[in-house]
Amino acid sequence: MLRESNNAFSIVESIHVLSITLVVGSIAVLDLRMLGIILRPIPVTRIARSVFPITWTGFAVSFSSGFMLFWAEAAKAYSNPAFRAKLIFLALVGLNPLIFHTTVYRRVHEWEVLHLAPWRARAAAIASLTLWSAVIIAGRAIAYF
Amino acid sequence: MFLHAWFMDLANSPLGHFMQASRWGFAVAEMVHLLALALLGGSVLVVDLRLLGVILRGESAHLIGRDLGRLTIGSLVVMALSGIAMLSEEAGKCYFSPAFRLKMALLAAALLFHFTLHRRAIARAENGRTLLWNRMAAILSLLLWLGVGVSGRAIGLL
Repeated sequence: MLRESNNAFSIVESIHVLSITLVVGSIAVLDLRMLGIILRPIPVTRIARSVFPITWTGFAVSFSSGFMLFWAEAAKAYSNPAFRAKLIFLALVGLNPLIFHTTVYRRVHEWEVLHLAPWRARAAAIASLTLWSAVIIAGRAIAYF
Repeated sequence: MFLHAWFMDLANSPLGHFMQASRWGFAVAEMVHLLALALLGGSVLVVDLRLLGVILRGESAHLIGRDLGRLTIGSLVVMALSGIAMLSEEAGKCYFSPAFRLKMALLAAALLFHFTLHRRAIARAENGRTLLWNRMAAILSLLLWLGVGVSGRAIGLL
């Protein structure tokens, strides 16, 4: 259905782009806080609690819309190098919070009020910003292959 | 009209020639535009959700407005530069595109609102209490920026 209707494809694609903005924009606020660039007086946990619902809502929408787009063009997307790169970056960007939450974030109460988070948290923030940027860049490149 | 002449000058500028001839120029400008969009969207959303009293209610709206406002302006600058680069590739088409015209009108409205009433709403905000005016300002801000994004996405489709 989606492949046959140009309008439907464009609408789902636009929803995909906007929901990625929610995911990356909200997680970037937390990353920039851990790097000590913005909102330094606010504890890290308070910002995390506020942005995670936005991140997860955005992720649910972008995942389902992305799945619909993939389904419409599955054969074409599968062999697209940019699509493959995007999946790899997505896997890595998922691994990052997994490591972060099971290690340095467990002791977040020891450092949540510090203006600059410990180096392991800063490394996770930089990895998150880099990998999400890579997801966006690879995602945009899908249309060019 | 002088605007049309300005668009044609942009298309015939060195930047326009470079963008029209280069294979990846437009793609790279688009990617930069999207990366900055994420920061813009995130910063606008967090400030407006604070004004709505949805998140960070106990934290200072002034601090949030100041820090994230810088992020908004910074990403706007990047978006304007990458936007001009994309415009230079197809200025003639954009000049007549209804989506482009709508986007520019909404962008002007969003910017005007951001620097006037929206700024006043942040200055008026108090901890723990949400004012009705601020809620309305936040909703209008979200709608304006969403309109800019949606009409921007439509430029490539219409």
